[in-house]
Amino acid sequence: MAEPIIRIERLSKTYMSKERKKGAKGKKAVHALKDVSLDIEDGEVFGLLGPNGAGKTTLIKCLTTLLIPTSGRAWVNGYDVLAEEERVRASIGCMLMGDRGLYWKLTGRENLDFFGALYHVPRAPRRKRLQDLIALLKLDDFVDRTVETYSAGQRMIVAFAKSLIHDAPILFLDEPTVTMDVPTARDLRHIVKELHAQGKTILYTTHLMHEAEELCNRVAIIDHGEIIALGTPSDLKSSIAREDVVSLEGVFSDASIGRLRAVQGIRNVAVATESGGRTKLEVLCENSRAILPKIIEAAMGDGATIEFIRSSEPTLEDVFIAKTGRTLSVDTRVLGEREARPRGR
Amino acid sequence: MSKKVLVEYSRYPLNFLAIFGQVFIIILLFVMSTFAFSAPGGGSGSDVSAFAGMMTYGFVTSMFMSFTLWEVGFSIRQEQVRGTLESLYLSPTNQFSNLLSRIFAVLAWTALVCVGGIALVSGLVGGLPATNVLRGLGILVLSVSGFLGMGFLFAGVTIKLKESAQLLVSGLQFFFFIFSAQFFPFSVLPAPILDYVSRWLPVSYAVDLFRTTLVGRPPELLPNDVVLEYVIVALFGVLSPVLGYLGYKTIERRARRAGTLGEY
Amino acid sequence: MAGETVARGFGLGRPGRRASIEVVWTVFKARLRIISRYRGAILLESFIPIFFAGLPIFLGIAVAGSEEQAAQNFFDNTQLAGQGTNEYRLYVLLGSSTFMVVSLMLWLIGYWVRREQETGTLESLYLSPAKRLHILTGVTSYTLVRSLSAFGIALAIGSLVFGVNPLSGNILAALGFLALGLPALWGISFLFGAFVMRIKEANAVIQLVQWILAFLMGVYFPVTMFPPVLRGFAMAFPPTLMNDAVRSTLLNISSIYGPWYVVLALMFMAAWIVPLLGYEAFTVMERRIKRDQGVGQF
Repeated sequence: MAEPIIRIERLSKTYMSKERKKGAKGKKAVHALKDVSLDIEDGEVFGLLGPNGAGKTTLIKCLTTLLIPTSGRAWVNGYDVLAEEERVRASIGCMLMGDRGLYWKLTGRENLDFFGALYHVPRAPRRKRLQDLIALLKLDDFVDRTVETYSAGQRMIVAFAKSLIHDAPILFLDEPTVTMDVPTARDLRHIVKELHAQGKTILYTTHLMHEAEELCNRVAIIDHGEIIALGTPSDLKSSIAREDVVSLEGVFSDASIGRLRAVQGIRNVAVATESGGRTKLEVLCENSRAILPKIIEAAMGDGATIEFIRSSEPTLEDVFIAKTGRTLSVDTRVLGEREARPRGR
Repeated sequence: MSKKVLVEYSRYPLNFLAIFGQVFIIILLFVMSTFAFSAPGGGSGSDVSAFAGMMTYGFVTSMFMSFTLWEVGFSIRQEQVRGTLESLYLSPTNQFSNLLSRIFAVLAWTALVCVGGIALVSGLVGGLPATNVLRGLGILVLSVSGFLGMGFLFAGVTIKLKESAQLLVSGLQFFFFIFSAQFFPFSVLPAPILDYVSRWLPVSYAVDLFRTTLVGRPPELLPNDVVLEYVIVALFGVLSPVLGYLGYKTIERRARRAGTLGEY
Repeated sequence: MAGETVARGFGLGRPGRRASIEVVWTVFKARLRIISRYRGAILLESFIPIFFAGLPIFLGIAVAGSEEQAAQNFFDNTQLAGQGTNEYRLYVLLGSSTFMVVSLMLWLIGYWVRREQETGTLESLYLSPAKRLHILTGVTSYTLVRSLSAFGIALAIGSLVFGVNPLSGNILAALGFLALGLPALWGISFLFGAFVMRIKEANAVIQLVQWILAFLMGVYFPVTMFPPVLRGFAMAFPPTLMNDAVRSTLLNISSIYGPWYVVLALMFMAAWIVPLLGYEAFTVMERRIKRDQGVGQF
């Protein structure tokens, strides 16, 4: 079995943070990462989810050599992040600073050329690579203007291009679609899928559940510096006890409703009669994907018509809530350790 | 807002100390320079004292002017760099109060620094003349009001010029050091510079009137028409803040129209 | 094996000399491009030494009472230092132009770190495999060009404004001394850059250091006028050595350090000790910051 391309062994990071309370100053230890161990396989799109202050950025900074961990070890592309920093940096492309990290008085093209040189891409291949990226990411319209004139979305897309300039085998993308408009974000996700198809390993952090579910082979949920869940999105969703709800709207007979209640796997059927003879059914079941055909079959017949159908499954946020008792939108940093201790752990 | 500015200042004590240190070093530098040009035996005590007074009180005006340009004008630039300028503009707070908030903290701080500087020079030369103190303070208040107007205008210029504003501030400081003769008597300036530049700068009259009042000598620029000199300084003190603020608002409005307000 | 994947992509991490030179050249070019897009910046900073020189000149004339008396007094006071020159205008202009070089180094290298931190580009630079030394070489080459340009332009314009002739002395030797003094300035700037990385709100501190440098360098007067302890400290300061070497060569007066070969020896020593110390301090601080909050924090 091939070795993981990113290997993390008991990585910890503690900051001494200055505190000001009621006029007094003091220092407080903040444990941003606690004994994190993780393996990421070659060619995987690996998602990292967690609220603000959970430790995602700290973990990424340790892996990308920007931060020296307090203890533990990590290897990226087989190179030790502490002992072989330059080899690690040569192996990775990063988009960590959002729309920052570009020189505002240089054009997009000049920025890409600049960073290409810093990544030791020889001149001729660099020029060709630039042209390819401009075409791929549709940068033509603005790449020759200075970055200070760009919108936030345009800066993000150029920052993304910067991460691809040297065609590294591993990419670290920290919330790459934030501030992008919907079509651009969709295009970027499409490109991420293409890069994945080329065999690149991608570590992707996001707050958007649908992105993680769409792109990631596996997902780690991190909270208070610890990995609290790890697995494929479907495994994680299956791991929590939560019912699916299938909503149907249309015209249904009593017989249809009776047949539905009898289907194995359906817990309950809630019926709401609406005006004009239409009925809304909320079907509680265990695994909507598996029994949806049976639901439809049971509901049809006796002149029944289905006008609308929707299935809601547990999301990764539901997984987080189940594990921690909080939503992903709650900033970990504003909670004390005691308050944030998850229920049942 | 003033509290915010003061809290910001208090969180950077090194900044505080550095500014104090700067002032003392600048004073030492120029005092040592005067020693290089003094006759080896030294002049009479009262001459030295009067000259030191002219230099020191001129320095006080330069301190207030510099601080208003930097702290009021250039602080807008810092907000731009940090990206907080747009946030401030999005808040319902009046922009004038935003500018004013910086002023109170800056003025208090500058006054402290000036007192320290005067004490230092006084100690070095064995005392400085101080006549008509109340009148001098009144002239200083009008002068500072005029400088504030310059600071407001410069805040607008900063929004437009961005990075180049930093150099412009340095350039302006030095410009006034020389052409408003903040460190030496006007009599030293060549006549063409005096007549075609210095006399056209309201700052020159503010500097001249302030220090000659305290040193107890007639003004240098208009020795035969002291009343006119007072009128110029009063007009400077009253009109400059109004014009400066109007200038700032005009540039700010243009920036908002062009969408460049938050542009770094 | 995971390590084999390094063969994919361009990044390699084992750059040759050509790639390293490319890094230096690219950084140099980028900095020049950036400053060229700030209107009037270069011109403005060439005028600052002239204003900076004008202040003490006018001050001196005011103190002495007349230009002739100012020249005589200046001669008498510098004679005590073994230099004896009545060319006070050129003396001060040379001092302030040399100070401009020092100041630019401090701002462009010391503040470069801070500036990159503020704009978020420091992390981008640290994420690249390019050696820090090569990036810094690019930045220092740029500062060299910029500060020498400012020096030359300020001297040229200042000579016209003050009616002095800076070319009467040994210009080649003076340029040689200037060039020899630059490595020590780089070292001081690296030292300073290390300090700036650590502290927040570096502006006021840089300005303070700037004025302290002007004071200790003897921009307007020979440092032999200082009391003994301060004099010793000022004379041990590399920028003072450089300033005095350049100035005494162009004015055809003795250096306060002694014969030319003593000056040369001292400058050679400073040229390799100070940069080594400065760069070492920089890397130590960089490592410390990476251990604490990371280089991007500001």
